[in-house]
Amino acid sequence: MDDKLRPAYPVMKDETFILLRDFIYEHSGIYFADTKKGQLEARLMMRLRASNLPDYDKYYYMLKYDPQAARELRALFDSVTTNETSFYRSPPQIQAFQEKVLPELITRREKKGERMLRLWSAGCSTGEEPYTLGIVVKEVLKNALPDWNMRIVASDISEKALKSAKTASYSEYSLRGVPPEIKQRYFNAHDGMYQMNEDVSRLVELQYLNLSDTKRVQLMKGFDVIFCRNVLIYFDDAARKRFVSQLYDSLNHGGYLFIGHSESLHNISRAFKLVHFPGALGYKKE
Amino acid sequence: MKASVLERIRNIEDLPTLPSVAIEVLGLAHSPDVSIQRIAECIHQDPPLAAKVLKLANSVFYRRGDRKVETLHHAIIFLGLAEIINIATTVSVFSALAPGKRSEASIRESFWDHSVATGLIARHLDKKLGMKSLGREFVAGLLHDIGKIILDQHFHAEFMEAYRVSIEQDRAMFETEMEFCGTNHMELGYFIVQKWNLPEYLADVILYHHQPSHATHQAMAALVSVADLLAKAVTLPCGGDRMSFILSDQESWHVLKDRGYAVDDLDMERITFEMESIGEQVRSYISTVMEPTSPEYVHG
Ligand SMILES: C[S@@+](CC[C@H](N)C(=O)[O-])C[C@H]1O[C@@H](n2cnc3c(N)ncnc32)[C@H](O)[C@@H]1O
Ligand SMILES: [Fe+2]
Ligand SMILES: [Fe+2]
Repeated sequence: MDDKLRPAYPVMKDETFILLRDFIYEHSGIYFADTKKGQLEARLMMRLRASNLPDYDKYYYMLKYDPQAARELRALFDSVTTNETSFYRSPPQIQAFQEKVLPELITRREKKGERMLRLWSAGCSTGEEPYTLGIVVKEVLKNALPDWNMRIVASDISEKALKSAKTASYSEYSLRGVPPEIKQRYFNAHDGMYQMNEDVSRLVELQYLNLSDTKRVQLMKGFDVIFCRNVLIYFDDAARKRFVSQLYDSLNHGGYLFIGHSESLHNISRAFKLVHFPGALGYKKE
Repeated sequence: MKASVLERIRNIEDLPTLPSVAIEVLGLAHSPDVSIQRIAECIHQDPPLAAKVLKLANSVFYRRGDRKVETLHHAIIFLGLAEIINIATTVSVFSALAPGKRSEASIRESFWDHSVATGLIARHLDKKLGMKSLGREFVAGLLHDIGKIILDQHFHAEFMEAYRVSIEQDRAMFETEMEFCGTNHMELGYFIVQKWNLPEYLADVILYHHQPSHATHQAMAALVSVADLLAKAVTLPCGGDRMSFILSDQESWHVLKDRGYAVDDLDMERITFEMESIGEQVRSYISTVMEPTSPEYVHG
């Protein structure tokens, strides 16, 4: 082919799309339907450039056969994930957690004389969700918080997102749903950014975790509440089923799971009991 | 109900009453030799009532297809007698207890929102479960808490106290009503619809909507009970109880299941999401019933 006629950027062939799509699915559960080819193409473009590869086939072979590919895999996950999130996202769910779930769990634990709670934000993106949970925990327990053994585990597959979570520094936009008095109490404003207070951020333990990594997820045990919101939407049904049943195993009896507002476990799992909160749904493991 | 409370209610002179024509229509509905002609004639004796019934029959809530019905006679043929009786009951109750006339600190506004929402949700679930209650489930849902109106009107101070304590201590309204008013909204609702001579299933559902397994019309009481909870979950509740619940643990759920309805197969998530936009339908329903009718409806 004449060089001038070659397109300025490589085109993803349909076969290559299938290969890459299946590869990504196998490694992360994230599924690109046929209609999402353009999206995948756009997102992987940067990876081709960064790896100095001329086309998607070469990129696929590198992922598949290059011993160095593990590192590229993480960068790949960074590019194929959507990290959209915000503080106090889906307020009725946060309110349900604050007004119903947390008080119930606290009472139950206090009765047993065990002041311990384990929360997990699975697919925490840039940290807004786990820090929101931290704020709520502080708001509910107030001065009693130091008497509690409180852990908020926050995990994601995107290293970039986790790195950003670690800085705990946010724009006005991320805080758009935060009530003014909470903003005042828990953030320090400087240079147009908001820094999350230490006493909240230190409750949160960030970690890299691929939710498709069955063996690692199996080690996640003993949680009282799991937030896994707006993550399952990127999986297909088979991956959702597999993964939700693992989440079930990760929960304590009497624990709760929250998935995204307008996400549903109907057809995915019958293990949980559906709980209606004012304006929000949750799932309980009896 | 305590004897003293009953005495107090009996002595209330201005208990709400239904329009006399409505009472006659409802009476006719029970009689074995009822004809379309007689019902239509009877409703026509009260032109505003007739106009409202026709208007509602042509609203999105009841109309079938896009054919407009011009006369009551036609409305009865198209919608069926049962549905016309439902509509007449609804219109009459609204006119007797107009949501417009609300006192300052009363619950009226949220009361009607909650009631209509419960009715609409009951209707939706009735369809999903194939219960074929012929629109009666809507009226039952609409009237289930009607006793609260009487409490609000005639036991106002005590009722407000019951309301406050229910929120403060996270207790059921019927419990705090008993404590402060000596009766509850189920008993009072039962009392008033009997007095109005409304169909017996309504009295039954009203009395047992918080313990549907005791009802004679068990399935309908259970359906209304589920709709009541869902209405509270998706809209402003009547009585402020910001409660949470597990449907599949409810008495009503078990009643429906025991009676062979496939409640466990319902896509409850989806139904709940659908119901989240019910506020609009509720407002539209209320304004359809409340707005004055244009004279074009009166004829025919
Ligand atoms: C749209 S964000 C949701 C963030 C937050 N939970 C919320 O609801 O606002 C989805 C997150 O899920 C993460 N994710 C997607 N697939 C994942 C996987 N297989 N393992 C772990 N995290 C994953 C993405 O990296 C992204 O940060
Ligand atoms: Fe009630
Ligand atoms: Fe109710």
